[in-house]
Amino acid sequence: MIATADQERHKDAVIIGGGIAGLQSALDLADQGYKVAVVERQASIGGRMISLSKVYPTLDCASCITTPKMSAAAHHDNIELLTYTEVNSIRPGPEGHTVVLTRKPTYVNADKCIGCRLCEYACDTEYPDGFEQGLGSVRAISVAFTNAIPQKAVLDADYCLACGLCLRACPTDAIEFDQQPRRETIHADVVIVASGFQLNALTVKPQYSAARNQNVISPLTLERLLAPHGPYGRVLRPSDGKIPESIAFVQCAGSRDQSIGVPYCSRVCCMYAIKQAMLLSGSLPTADITIYYMDIRAFGKGYEQFYQNAKAMGINFVRGKVSKIDPVDKDDLLVHVEYTEEPQDCVRKQRHDMVVLAQGMIPQWNPTTLSPVQIAGDGFVATPDPVSPCATNVPGIFVAGAAAGPKDIVDSIAEAGAAAMEAGRYLSKRASLDHAGRAVALELIA
Amino acid sequence: MDNVNRNVAQDAAVPTTPRVGVYICRCGGNISDVVDTEHVAEICRLIPGVAVSKVHTFMCSDPGQQTISDDIKQEKLDRVVVASCSPFLHELTFRGAVVRSKMNPYLYEQVNIREQCSWAHKHDPRGATAKAIQLISAAVGKVSRATPLEKIRLPNHRRALVVGGGPAGMKVAADLAACGISVVLVEQSDRLGGKLHTLNRLFPTGQAATELAAKMESQVLADPKIEILLNSKVTKVSGFIGNFEVGIHGSFGPAGKTTDIHTTVGVIVMATGFKPYVPADGEFNYKKHPTVLTTVDFNSLLATQNAEGRILQYEGRSIRSIAFIHCVGSRQVDGVHTPGPDGRINTYCSRACCTTVLNQALQVRQRFPDTRVYDLHQDIRAYGRGHEDYYTNASRAGVVFFRYHGDEPPSVTNANGPTSPLRIDVKDYLSWGEQLELEVDMVVLAVGMTAGSCETLVDQLKLPRGEDRFLQEIHPKLRPVEISVNGVLLAGTAQAPMNIQETLAAAGAAAVKARVMFSTEEVELNPYVAEVDTRLCEGTGACITQCEYDGALVMVETQKDGRTVRKAHVNPGQCVGCGACVAVCPTQAINVNGWRIDQYDAMVDGLVRDLTPAAV
Repeated sequence: MIATADQERHKDAVIIGGGIAGLQSALDLADQGYKVAVVERQASIGGRMISLSKVYPTLDCASCITTPKMSAAAHHDNIELLTYTEVNSIRPGPEGHTVVLTRKPTYVNADKCIGCRLCEYACDTEYPDGFEQGLGSVRAISVAFTNAIPQKAVLDADYCLACGLCLRACPTDAIEFDQQPRRETIHADVVIVASGFQLNALTVKPQYSAARNQNVISPLTLERLLAPHGPYGRVLRPSDGKIPESIAFVQCAGSRDQSIGVPYCSRVCCMYAIKQAMLLSGSLPTADITIYYMDIRAFGKGYEQFYQNAKAMGINFVRGKVSKIDPVDKDDLLVHVEYTEEPQDCVRKQRHDMVVLAQGMIPQWNPTTLSPVQIAGDGFVATPDPVSPCATNVPGIFVAGAAAGPKDIVDSIAEAGAAAMEAGRYLSKRASLDHAGRAVALELIA
Repeated sequence: MDNVNRNVAQDAAVPTTPRVGVYICRCGGNISDVVDTEHVAEICRLIPGVAVSKVHTFMCSDPGQQTISDDIKQEKLDRVVVASCSPFLHELTFRGAVVRSKMNPYLYEQVNIREQCSWAHKHDPRGATAKAIQLISAAVGKVSRATPLEKIRLPNHRRALVVGGGPAGMKVAADLAACGISVVLVEQSDRLGGKLHTLNRLFPTGQAATELAAKMESQVLADPKIEILLNSKVTKVSGFIGNFEVGIHGSFGPAGKTTDIHTTVGVIVMATGFKPYVPADGEFNYKKHPTVLTTVDFNSLLATQNAEGRILQYEGRSIRSIAFIHCVGSRQVDGVHTPGPDGRINTYCSRACCTTVLNQALQVRQRFPDTRVYDLHQDIRAYGRGHEDYYTNASRAGVVFFRYHGDEPPSVTNANGPTSPLRIDVKDYLSWGEQLELEVDMVVLAVGMTAGSCETLVDQLKLPRGEDRFLQEIHPKLRPVEISVNGVLLAGTAQAPMNIQETLAAAGAAAVKARVMFSTEEVELNPYVAEVDTRLCEGTGACITQCEYDGALVMVETQKDGRTVRKAHVNPGQCVGCGACVAVCPTQAINVNGWRIDQYDAMVDGLVRDLTPAAV
């Protein structure tokens, strides 16, 4: 159900983050009969997963397997979705946690909007589309993306010229230029932090020249290029629209690197690089595809076989470390590689049309200033109890998915289930305590 | 088409003049960019039985669903067809929409014109459009002959069977019991804890495995909701979700007397764990030389090694150097590795061994600084949180790394007898393919995980195993703890190799699914099961011979005109609606509800229907 506005209310659980981990936790709690609110910063739920092309090792279309989860959450009687909403604070107390939220103005009345997109078609102000990693453009008022949930328009005040075209186009008079941020408070017995990850900057290693050349791209950009409903509908390199003939993946370009403060492994990059390489060789059969890596960490179920298939497909795996990438002849790239396996002539320069940097995963959200939840040295939420891998330092606050360290979808889903279980246990215990307390009170009255 | 198999009873529920609503989704362009949806809607109005045919940009959106609801009321529709994406995505959405309009959800049919038309025939818009019309026409035929169905409701026994008393089993039992669900925990050995007893210091916490085992065991023992049966095995299992009948045999009776018990449970959790790979005799000189150990052996060595000193001691020998060899029994290569007794090789990665080796290597360097350590790996897969630190620290502590290729595994020999050092030959790719010889006092083989055995349950419940022989989840990405047998869940390494933390997370995920299954008084099953028309059934038993699901089809004897007659009878709980029985019945007395043969006939009629305006 889509949220309606009221100021202060109670929920059994508040879930911070409407990505795959948050949605799975929400569904697992709601299916147990608990009332859940999912708080999502963006205009749509779906998180990172909804923007991916296909997922390893099954090569399922990501939209097609994310949408049902999104839809299930949206239509669940026990789930309330609070999109376009920021968390101000989480304060634990004897009566549960007080979660204070800011509902950001969408300038569109969600009850009236029917998602017809006529406003979007009418609007003539465009800006780079964040969902498409800036490759396409989006109108100043728009529905977040094709399969967004909710299918409601959001107006971006930073770009809107207040020209009134949308106002005239809207058949239901849903546009409200005078909307203000609204504060809402939810009292919840449990909170699950599922705030996910972000990638560190493409420019975190300046020697890789991402700031100087558009063809040094993020893996998330490549996901959009590979997606069937992506910005170009096919794979073209950003600078000049050329069909790339030689593509390189530079692994550990933002992880396992003490010089940039990310000494840990980001855990997903090996597998998505292999997947992207496979998809590329499907859409560009004649292209040369090279993966420069330190170790191939294909550790999950079916992953090693996936890696071996990629090798058999002719994808070139080179064990080596890329020292720098230089733009050459305007749009091409010269990748300097130290070969650490063979051949023995060590350092070579390889020319590629496009380079994908495996950026590191870092936390999306730091809860420490807004709540008593502690983070570990790696910046992700700390999980101090070995028996309860989803428990944080605060009783009744749990963590799931990449908020507790880099994790792929399958591990996030398993952990989200575990977090819902921990939360369910906590809620059962509270309920039985409440019950006992009430029994005593009744006895006293008698 | 003449339907010789027409089922009279079911015909009664099929209206002679159905009023079907057809809704065609543009899917925001996903469909309408290729398929001419407006044209499709126009043509669909010509299909017999179609009362309404409309197009919407997003049928699944709330306004789209509202259109359907309004038409059901205003246009008095009694059947609905939505032509959009795969039913996998939105069948439940649209069934919900028709239920909200007080219509039976099984009078709804979904046609996939996205994956099957617009996406598959992107470059042939005319063909895609024509195909969409044909598929819709078939669905209209099918739904016109659909009968209202009800979900099958059966009692739900609020009790779980957890098979395996390792960390996964204990975690599931503790989680469920804490929510008030009674659990019977079956463990074949004489104590709880499973493989935790073979581990030493757990990564990445450094906690002693025995401490974790004791902590978890005390939780399980303290909960009166958990019945623990040690030294016991499941000997018989049958039934279905909510209603599994389980026989357990074991020596848990008074004074260890062997006893058989029988119990009914609603859910079965497979926490049957893994078996460490056991190298063949002579594989890396295992069993041929006293100081070739596995990581399992080495764990107990580290746990029991109390000797002070700068050099590790083992059976009276000073171990001045150790080589760890990764991927023993994992990442095996066809044609290079010898298949095991079952004729297979293990091509998969066992996930936990890399960090296990780093953990052990680091402990050796820290506790016995004069014992040198070599590490022979393919890739170092220190992927988990905190794992990379083990790699860095092992490296800093002086562990020397070598990298070999999977198709050129190192060889271990002891040319000069059991008292001599071992010799390792390896082609090392960190020195650009140099052929190296190492002399070491001990070799530790990092053995992988192989699938645990639980054959009674696997055979009797028909649980699928994957290529790697671990139990096969429904969907490796989205549904990792569920298996195709409804009511059976997977916890921990029964499903795939994983480390302790991952095991506990997977167990928690299984527990939550179990709790959800127990959240209703009754279990609801889809009504797509076989149904016998007793007037046509002649009791030949052909269907029973064909049926693969124990108890799904049985022969019952009834009295008819003073004679005893045999008729097939379906137990809806066990039937999966596969239709094998339908194909063999000589009198066509058996059908699968929702997929009856006359519906197939109508679909075929629909597919070949000429919808050119002139023909109609």
